Amino acid sequence: MFRFTGDASEKNFLRQVIDKSGQNLLECLQCGKCSGSCPVASENVPGPRQLVAEILSGLKDEALSNPLWWYCVSCGTCMTRCPVEINMYEVATALCEIAQKEGVQPSEPDIHLFEEIFLKSVEKYGRVKELRTVATYNFRTRHFLKDMDKGIILMRKGAISPFELLKGWKKDPRVSRIFEKVRKGGQGE
Amino acid sequence: MKVSYYPGCSLEGTARPYDVSVRYVCRSLGVELQESQDWSCCGASPALKMNSLLSTALSARNLALIEKTDITDVVAPCPFCFRRLKSANEDIKTDPELKRRTQEVIEAEIVGKLTIHNLLGFIRRQIGLEPIISKVKTPLTGLKLIPYYGCYVVKPPSVAQFDNPESPTSLDEVMAALGADVLDWDFKTECCGAGLALSKTQKVIELSGRLLKEAAWRGADMIVVVCQLCQANLDMRQGDISSKQNKKYEIPIVYFTQLIGLAFGLSPSELGLNHHIIDPLPVLRQKGFSS
Repeated sequence: MFRFTGDASEKNFLRQVIDKSGQNLLECLQCGKCSGSCPVASENVPGPRQLVAEILSGLKDEALSNPLWWYCVSCGTCMTRCPVEINMYEVATALCEIAQKEGVQPSEPDIHLFEEIFLKSVEKYGRVKELRTVATYNFRTRHFLKDMDKGIILMRKGAISPFELLKGWKKDPRVSRIFEKVRKGGQGE
Repeated sequence: MKVSYYPGCSLEGTARPYDVSVRYVCRSLGVELQESQDWSCCGASPALKMNSLLSTALSARNLALIEKTDITDVVAPCPFCFRRLKSANEDIKTDPELKRRTQEVIEAEIVGKLTIHNLLGFIRRQIGLEPIISKVKTPLTGLKLIPYYGCYVVKPPSVAQFDNPESPTSLDEVMAALGADVLDWDFKTECCGAGLALSKTQKVIELSGRLLKEAAWRGADMIVVVCQLCQANLDMRQGDISSKQNKKYEIPIVYFTQLIGLAFGLSPSELGLNHHIIDPLPVLRQKGFSS
């Protein structure tokens, strides 16, 4: 069983996650309903119970490199079933913010890359240009032909148009400005 | 009835059939959808994961635009847009410090005074079943449907504040109002893999695969969805799931608004039913809903 060594950093990290996420992890009963419910937990991805235990135990490096919060799709099932209603996707955001600030390498680079490309589109155009986002992701991960078969079927059916990839879109400086302001002043508390 | 319509990015991209059918169904039911020309993305799951303030600000920007009009209600067909708009609205209402920081970032005033509806909730609760029943021209008799809600429209309940998070019934009721044969199943709100579609495709194949297996076992003609991410995952990955499970699945995945439109007398192609990978037309023809 892990015990606190009394080092201030252990307490700081827990406090930081609680403050940032607004979730009182001290109430966690370690009942494990969350992990039994989590759709993304597997033999390779620990469930929410373990992640909360890491945070409570001050295991900062373990928590920040835990793949679970990258995998989290914020389905909300764990919170729905949690007896003390801990919102894990708010905890995921808190961990992501702390990890970015401290320069921790993403434990799931593919998921991170997708989220970055997605947000780039929002930042530039104000909206997500889906086809371009998919194409950029497949290009950057060097899976050039991934899902090409589905794309061709959808194009044949007229559901999507290849011109979508080529045409230029209006940039939206108003949304870019929000990103800029968040980067400048809004970081952290 | 006039409401603000927030289609979201997918509905002007890969989920156009959803947009087309939503607009048609709302028009038929006497709902005027006012779309703000200036709307921008809610940030979806990437913004929610990466930065809490950014996520709130991106939704708040849209809410602030709508607050300037005389409209009080917002309808979002995409369950994730619904979740984000509603969360931002509630958080700004209850957290003055967050409100201050958000206003600073979006350079606009926001009160948090709007009512945010998901489309299913709006149709089931605000419009109700009676007007739907009265508009049905072609009852969907004999069409065996599996109602699939996905996560975001009902979970977590403190955020969505809609229906039962484990066993919702509103979609069942709307489909029954169209005369369809609604099948019961246990996976109404189980996850399809959502935003992991590209980065962790195998996970989606596993999770959506479970749903398909159960739906097939129940004898579904179609799976009805309210979310374009559920639609995309179940439709796009069906071939991969078939290979993985060594079992041939051909279950069309359709939006609930497409079926409402069909029952109201529109043709399948007017509702974009010809735009899905697993073609719904053969089963519709076989059941006599399409020539």
